[in-house]
Amino acid sequence: MSLENAMLVFRKDWREMSRNMQIVAPIVIVPLVISVVLPLIVILVPTMLSIPGSSFSNSAALLQSLPADVQAQVVGMSTVQSLTYVFAVYFFAPFFLIIPVMASSVLAADSFAGEKDRKTLEALLATPLTDGDLLLGKILVSFIPAMLVTLLAFVVYTVVVDFGALGLFGRFILPNGLWLAFILLVTPAVALAGIGVTVIVSLRVKGFREAQQLSALLVLPILAIILAQVGGALFFGLTMLILMLVGFALLDVAVFYIGIRLFKREDILVKSV
Amino acid sequence: MLAIETDSLTKKFSNITAVDKLSFSVEEGEIFGLLGPNGAGKTTTIRMLACVISPTSGTANVGGHDLLKEPQQIRRNVGILTENPSLYEKMTAVENLDFFARAYGMRDQVAISDRIKELLEFFQLWDRRRERVAVYSKGMKQKLAIARALVHDPPLLFLDEPTSGLDPESSKLIRELVEKLGRYERRTILLSTHRLEDAQKLCNRVMIINRGSSKVIGTVNELRSRMAGHPKLEIVMTKIAPEGVVKVRSIKSVESVEVDDVTGRMVVEAEGVQAVAPYIVKVLVDSGSMIVDVHTVLPSLEDAYLALVNGGIKV
Repeated sequence: MSLENAMLVFRKDWREMSRNMQIVAPIVIVPLVISVVLPLIVILVPTMLSIPGSSFSNSAALLQSLPADVQAQVVGMSTVQSLTYVFAVYFFAPFFLIIPVMASSVLAADSFAGEKDRKTLEALLATPLTDGDLLLGKILVSFIPAMLVTLLAFVVYTVVVDFGALGLFGRFILPNGLWLAFILLVTPAVALAGIGVTVIVSLRVKGFREAQQLSALLVLPILAIILAQVGGALFFGLTMLILMLVGFALLDVAVFYIGIRLFKREDILVKSV
Repeated sequence: MLAIETDSLTKKFSNITAVDKLSFSVEEGEIFGLLGPNGAGKTTTIRMLACVISPTSGTANVGGHDLLKEPQQIRRNVGILTENPSLYEKMTAVENLDFFARAYGMRDQVAISDRIKELLEFFQLWDRRRERVAVYSKGMKQKLAIARALVHDPPLLFLDEPTSGLDPESSKLIRELVEKLGRYERRTILLSTHRLEDAQKLCNRVMIINRGSSKVIGTVNELRSRMAGHPKLEIVMTKIAPEGVVKVRSIKSVESVEVDDVTGRMVVEAEGVQAVAPYIVKVLVDSGSMIVDVHTVLPSLEDAYLALVNGGIKV
């Protein structure tokens, strides 16, 4: 395996992907919604609070159900400040798991299964590039852009929240240590899990769509985390961060172990015909 | 020296045996044709020899390297035109060739650029080098795929249906190229084709395969005579006298006589047909037939191929 050859595969795949709207559109739109639309909701909270009968009017009960350490952080804040703070800093964090898993699985599905669809595999497999070169190049082309959009979305989210809520707090509330650890440690582990699962799925299916549909199932555990938080069973914090990190790291090890064992150039071609 | 030597090469896909104990050899510098109907195992054979898929059993030596032990060396020495053009359609012609040149280990940017220019100019694609392959016609894609097979200047070339989908002009260009690469540059070329015309014009030897096994190997002329019989005598007449036909049939060395009253054509098959031809003509003229033309017809490779594939002849 050589890094030079892996980067050759990376550049080739990136050229193809960046010119494919089917790939670019979801990778741009989903982070945009999460990083711009969500903070706008936060900023609109004060307006909503004034609507009689809205769920936000029952905010006292919501704030009381928060874990003690979070409640301690909002001590001394007004109701509007507390709600804005809790939403911006805690409630919306798990949505940021969707970006790396979605982006990495779309990219990996195109890189691995897309070559089957487009019948470009045979010429590629006839070259002296090794299985390791191909696998590393394709993992990198799925991982690097997925992490770039995740980081970019985080920066946009931070800027929108900070400037949107500057009038309310008189200071910037993001990023904090928890978010930085979350974005720098948990989201890469999630992106890798997305890639690992998609590699395994791609080796078994005929094309991009099938691979993407199966990999999309990865969003389910993330939705479960979001719903668990809405229901009050979980709350974004250090414990949850450690649990997610350990959970996804274990998943990464498992899927990469299986993926690398299954990745044989011949099988990919034969199963595509 | 042998460029390719296979030994009982076999490939099974679940219950189907695509290639069955195939043993053959190709001399260095030879253009060797692989003929056979769809599903005969031609593409699977090429894929195994190019180390794209591995054999279920048996082995081969390709360019002095063992198929099972040294696949990387084989891949480096082989240029392959695959069944599908296998091109990256969202990339330009130059980007495609540049990627493959580097994938085959070329690193010198100047050498890569010169080679790409040379190939694209030869295939008349230079003016459209910056367009994405998606907008290319089928023929242009096929030419670019052949250029890709040649980009690293390989001593061995495996071409799977090189003229398929090409117009007559492009087909001629490819045939001339294959001839140049094989005859004059002494590269070893394995050519799989449906077009018997291509095999007849280009190949030193051909192998006809059917249902995964070799039916016959030989030069085109050998196959023609072995598979489709001797030359035949064709006589064109404006008037065919029936008693003349009876007399021709009674000639001892004559094996068969076919008469078509509509076209006035008579085809005679006989042992040593050229020797007996004057006598046949005399018999026909004496019985009142009016002869316009007499000539011998060599069986074509197509006759041989069809006779074999349709099971008309046992080898």
